[in-house]
Amino acid sequence: MNAASPATRYDVLVLGAGVGGMESALTLGDMGYQVLVVEKEPSVGGRMILLSKVFPTLDCASCISTPKMAAVNNHPHVRALVSSEVNDITPRPEGGFLVHLTRKPTFVDAAKCTGCALCESACTVAVPDEFNYDLTARRAAHIAFPQAVPKKAVITRRGSSPCSFTCPAGVKPHGYVSLVRSGQYDEAFRQHLDDAPLVGVLSRACYAPCEEACSRKELEGPVSIRGIKRFMSDRYYAAHPVPEYGPPSERKGARVAIVGSGPSGLAAAFVLGRAGYDVTVFEAEQEAGGILRWGIPSYRLPKDVVARDLANITALGVKIETGHRVTSLAELQGAGFGAVYLATGDRGGRKLSVPGEDLAGVYDAVDYLHELNADRPPDFSGKTVIVIGGGNVAIDSARSARRLGARSVELFCLESRAEMPAHPWEIQEAEEEGVVVTNSWGVGQVLGYDRKVLGVELVRCTSVFDAEHRFRPTFDSSVRQSVHGEVVITAIGLAPNTGAFASQVELQRNGTVKVDPETLATSVPGVFAGGDAVTGPAMIVTAIGQGKRAAFYIERFLRGEPLEGAKFDDRLPEVDASTVAAEARRDAVPRPPVPIPRRPALERVTSFEPYEAVLSETEARTSANRCLDCGVCSECRECVRACPANAIDLDMRARTETVVVQSVALATGFTPFDARQKPAFGFGRFANVINGPQMDRILAPTRPFNAVVRPSDGKAPSNVAFVLCTGSRDEQVGNRLCSRVCCMYSMKQAQLLLGSLPLADVTIYYIDLRAFGKGYEEFLQQTKGMGVIFRKGKVSRVEETDDHDLLVHYEDIEGGGGSTVARHDLVVLSTGLLPNPGALALFPKGGLEKDAYSYVREVNEELEPGKTTLEGVFVIGSATAVRDIPDTIVHSEAASAQIAAYLKREGAKA
Amino acid sequence: MTGRKIGVVVCECGGNISDYVDTEKVRAAIAQEGDVVSSHVQMFACSDAAQQDAIREIREKKLDGIVVCSCSPKLHTATFRAMAERAGLNPYEYTQVNIREQDSWAHTHDREGATEKAIELARAGVAKTALSEPLVRRRVETLPQAVVVGAGIAGLRAAVALSDLGVSVHLVEKATAPGGQVARWGSLFPNDKVGRGLVDELLNEVRRRENIQLYLSTELVEKSGRLGAFDVTLRTATGAVIPLKVGAIVVATGFDPYAPSTGEFGYGLDGVVTLPEFKELLAAHPARLTYRGRDVRTVAYVYCVGSRETAPGSPRTYCSRYCCSATSHIATVVNGLDPSVHQFHLFRDIRTYGKYEALYEKALRGGSVYLRYSEESPPTVTEENGGLVVKVRDQLLAGEEVEIRPDLVVLVTGMVPRANDPLVHALKLPVGQDGFFREVHVKLRPVETVLDGVFIVGASQGPKNVAESVASSLAGVAKTGALLLKGYVDLDPLVARVEPNLCAWCDECTKACPYGAIDRVRQGETEVAEVNGVLCKGEGACVPACPKEAISLLGYSNAQISSMIDALVKEAT
Repeated sequence: MNAASPATRYDVLVLGAGVGGMESALTLGDMGYQVLVVEKEPSVGGRMILLSKVFPTLDCASCISTPKMAAVNNHPHVRALVSSEVNDITPRPEGGFLVHLTRKPTFVDAAKCTGCALCESACTVAVPDEFNYDLTARRAAHIAFPQAVPKKAVITRRGSSPCSFTCPAGVKPHGYVSLVRSGQYDEAFRQHLDDAPLVGVLSRACYAPCEEACSRKELEGPVSIRGIKRFMSDRYYAAHPVPEYGPPSERKGARVAIVGSGPSGLAAAFVLGRAGYDVTVFEAEQEAGGILRWGIPSYRLPKDVVARDLANITALGVKIETGHRVTSLAELQGAGFGAVYLATGDRGGRKLSVPGEDLAGVYDAVDYLHELNADRPPDFSGKTVIVIGGGNVAIDSARSARRLGARSVELFCLESRAEMPAHPWEIQEAEEEGVVVTNSWGVGQVLGYDRKVLGVELVRCTSVFDAEHRFRPTFDSSVRQSVHGEVVITAIGLAPNTGAFASQVELQRNGTVKVDPETLATSVPGVFAGGDAVTGPAMIVTAIGQGKRAAFYIERFLRGEPLEGAKFDDRLPEVDASTVAAEARRDAVPRPPVPIPRRPALERVTSFEPYEAVLSETEARTSANRCLDCGVCSECRECVRACPANAIDLDMRARTETVVVQSVALATGFTPFDARQKPAFGFGRFANVINGPQMDRILAPTRPFNAVVRPSDGKAPSNVAFVLCTGSRDEQVGNRLCSRVCCMYSMKQAQLLLGSLPLADVTIYYIDLRAFGKGYEEFLQQTKGMGVIFRKGKVSRVEETDDHDLLVHYEDIEGGGGSTVARHDLVVLSTGLLPNPGALALFPKGGLEKDAYSYVREVNEELEPGKTTLEGVFVIGSATAVRDIPDTIVHSEAASAQIAAYLKREGAKA
Repeated sequence: MTGRKIGVVVCECGGNISDYVDTEKVRAAIAQEGDVVSSHVQMFACSDAAQQDAIREIREKKLDGIVVCSCSPKLHTATFRAMAERAGLNPYEYTQVNIREQDSWAHTHDREGATEKAIELARAGVAKTALSEPLVRRRVETLPQAVVVGAGIAGLRAAVALSDLGVSVHLVEKATAPGGQVARWGSLFPNDKVGRGLVDELLNEVRRRENIQLYLSTELVEKSGRLGAFDVTLRTATGAVIPLKVGAIVVATGFDPYAPSTGEFGYGLDGVVTLPEFKELLAAHPARLTYRGRDVRTVAYVYCVGSRETAPGSPRTYCSRYCCSATSHIATVVNGLDPSVHQFHLFRDIRTYGKYEALYEKALRGGSVYLRYSEESPPTVTEENGGLVVKVRDQLLAGEEVEIRPDLVVLVTGMVPRANDPLVHALKLPVGQDGFFREVHVKLRPVETVLDGVFIVGASQGPKNVAESVASSLAGVAKTGALLLKGYVDLDPLVARVEPNLCAWCDECTKACPYGAIDRVRQGETEVAEVNGVLCKGEGACVPACPKEAISLLGYSNAQISSMIDALVKEAT
């Protein structure tokens, strides 16, 4: 990067577009200076625009702010960047400052957005509305507030929700869960289909790593994501027995061959088919589906579900040639396929390599499950079955054996219970069905007589993995036992089904195809490989993810684009589930999980019928309602569909910009006091204790409710208390200073309150009434004249009654000084303003000093307002000492005069 | 119908209007008017988004007039004219209809009536716009020179800052020496800077600069001319007259300390002084606290003397803002001088706002005792046996009467408007109810007055401490700079126009005009009146004065006004 030639130059950088920053920008702009305004929020206007009316003249805050906001946005000499932050400001030896700033992603192209708010209506996620100080909810896609400038939508994204981040198939569970929550079931299904096909399959047979990642898991248990998926998938397929769509009309012209119709091949076929490629899937078996069709028993995955999922793929015009075993890649390429995807999966047949393995009655699990799924089940009735292996296939084999009428099924594996590759709940369900699981045994030999199995001799396994966690079992050959059995099923691992291509593409030593892990390109150009053939045995979702990845790079390959440099996976960083859980523990209502109904074990083993029931609509929505919206935006993409301007861009990412400025104006405002810091007042615990900013919102013309109501029951309050100096003049909370505005804003609120509720009693508890500005004392007298009661006395604590009224304990100074209690039905904590020390961190080279209270220090407030310890850096308004609006405006004008003089001086030097 | 294409926007003002006026009904009614081709309701017509909508509408429908029914024209005429201009429409084809101050806010209990009235007002606005014509602003030169009236801390600072911006300054001081009140003071809150020192610092700057001319014992006695080029007359104590031509006028005339009347809280008794007197005392004897040679062991401060008065008709109902902090600071100074001095503060509310709270805290920690009196029972200061006795009912002690025998009583006197009648008269300065100069809007235009190019800064606008006065004076500088540095200003074209063929020169109009904006010119054989567009303020006094109806006001022509009246009464029956 060449720091000497940055993008742009400005005379002034104004940091913060609150009322002070705007005033300064406009004044300097009017003088002809080039001004850059950087605001972190999505709109200019700062805090003032959120107020109702402003003291002492009771002007409407909006009416005063909006023209300034519009002017900042339209001034020929002012460039205002919203949703942007300054990273650092460094003085340059030759004068001026080098500024790095970040344009935060809003996920909406501001140039295209018309502010129509259709995205907001379509959005399925509600979060507390910070512009209403959390009194109400807003959508993740939203326009900050009605008068926002610029009036552009933004989408709040905290990151990838853990469920969506985790899914190897790139499915966005948060998205469809939020759609189900909104009752948009078909949309939920379609959203899933956009992310990955095989929705029905996954709703039955996915091991759901998303649920493992779910933030709710740390609370009452994860959201039943797969259960929700099953609900929406069943519902959709019941309504749509055949696909809703046909082949895409726009054809790409290129042909792609996919070898293998398992989940990976099908996923690739689906993506490429949708994109308009001519896709042919070659399948050696007589029916498509691979492991889904031939491996997983139907009590877990009914075959009609597989068939319906397949229809979603073939409807795109994807051809599946079954009974066609591909052996030559060159032949495919010769036949006009521009690209090939090898997704041949696994085969079984890994041998125990012990004596007796070839006895009759010894089954390889993969062959056995294949026969079962081919409707040629072996006769196990009344037999004693031994299953060897601790993985999913072993469990499937054992449970299927129970369903085939075996008298007993015993499973032996090398691993301890905790080490077993099978999922704990599978093992548990198998045990419920009568499978006996015995851990830490290896097979010494298969015992038999007359070429028939009689049992196995087992050897104690002492450890399975070595220090590097490689599979290297060790045995104690002195500990052995023999177990009787008429059937032995070995399920000790799968091998990649790649033998036919060993001489055509480069393989790894373990037989998997060697690929570039990002692009899945093999050693042969145009041939890609993925799924279990590459990864070894993995989950269905992993295979689907590989298929999608391959499709992404195959498309690039076919378009003649380089494979390097593209990025298939551009997820936002994962939101930390523990943080979300901790927040939920504080704020959210506990919600127990909704169990998925299952048939009793004894009934389950009588047939291959599915044993899991589907959630009812109510259960599904209740389940979905448990979602904590970790990433805020759920990526359901309803906004994308709703936006008529095509402005939504969920792939938008932060950008950095570098500018050179001659001077800097820090107008970073204040930090509102968090009333939670004053626990005795009950904010956050008692519904009817609110803070001053919330009261202002309730009274504002753009108020969230159309009346003054108290939160607990929506009733109009009749006896309201204001507690002044909440968080001010209070050593206890670390702020000794007076916040300067609270007396006045409370009186203003009291007046407005009486305007809405003329019969209400309003009491203001105060230490001193600081009505010091022009017209303020008169305002105080006017407030008294309206009948507001002023009580001198410090409030010590607030208690809540059963009917959510509040008992205010205070020291009644005028009444003799004793502790007194008064009952109110709404308490407003007149919270103060604290310094915002953020600006101090922006100068990596230091030099900007703070004062004793952590405000930016003015070096000479008497004669040089706004001047800081750093030459060329000025401070405006509340960034140096909290101020009310009139004083902020005057101070900001004054700082502007100083800046102008500085620029003039610097200009003369140059 | 005139064939015009007029757009109408009805503003809800986020409820300020729509809570009391059925804005949709207004829109629907106005949409029926002949010339109206576009009509919309907006939550905030002044918001950027709504302005963008209007601009789009003006361009797409090729509107030649636009009416916004919203708030007072005082608030947003400039906003919407700028909007019209951005849309490519002549800004004077815009009309603002006030359905807030003059309607919704005035008729909060009669929605139907208010709605009906809004419709009528809107119709009148449309009728006026239908007859509007494009007008062009007149660009006139502005001089990079300013006169600053008052060489106190605010005036001095303004002069230096204007000079920094390249504006030449005539700094005019009535007194024989510069420095104002601050020059007499010693240590000041909150940073213990010395008043005299601050003034000297600025005076050095003033003297160093060639483009600042300081006039002592001089007053501004006359002003004429226009924004950007005022003719100002100064008169010295000797009666010499100095004419100046300046672009702007900055008024920094400060305040007077409140002078208690004799007997007010014992004022006049030996040992009763005002706050400024006490400050001067401290400044003069920085080492030891004595009064008239006597050691001072006990001080009683009586707050709010001349401030926050509640007597009916009192002109001093306001808080003087600086006194609580100044007194807290003084208490700390006294404490530093001699910690054994007892200090009693008789207060109503301690208003050490913001960071000044630290001064109060320091005074408290230094042992100052605070007694709160109520406005109903103020303390009394009397003399007994040659000593002072202060009695107060302390609210902090449940109203118990406390008696103090101080050596010195300090009346914490506030600020009152400076007696400045000749200047007020010369400049026609607007004065508020409190007697201080009145700004246009305390938030939107805090240092500007209704007189374009005349600014009010420092304590002349209202009580302020030093830092606040200086901030205000620099705010005035910023506004002056923005006005003068461009070198020109565009004047409103809404001025009177004489139709020479109708004029028979009778002189009535010149008599009516307060600005001397009408000239007598020869046209062929006759003499007629002609309006000087730079001096004319568009006030319109000449219009009804003309017996021949030869004068009309651009933007408010007789035809426009008649048509507005017709529209207003259209459905009055």
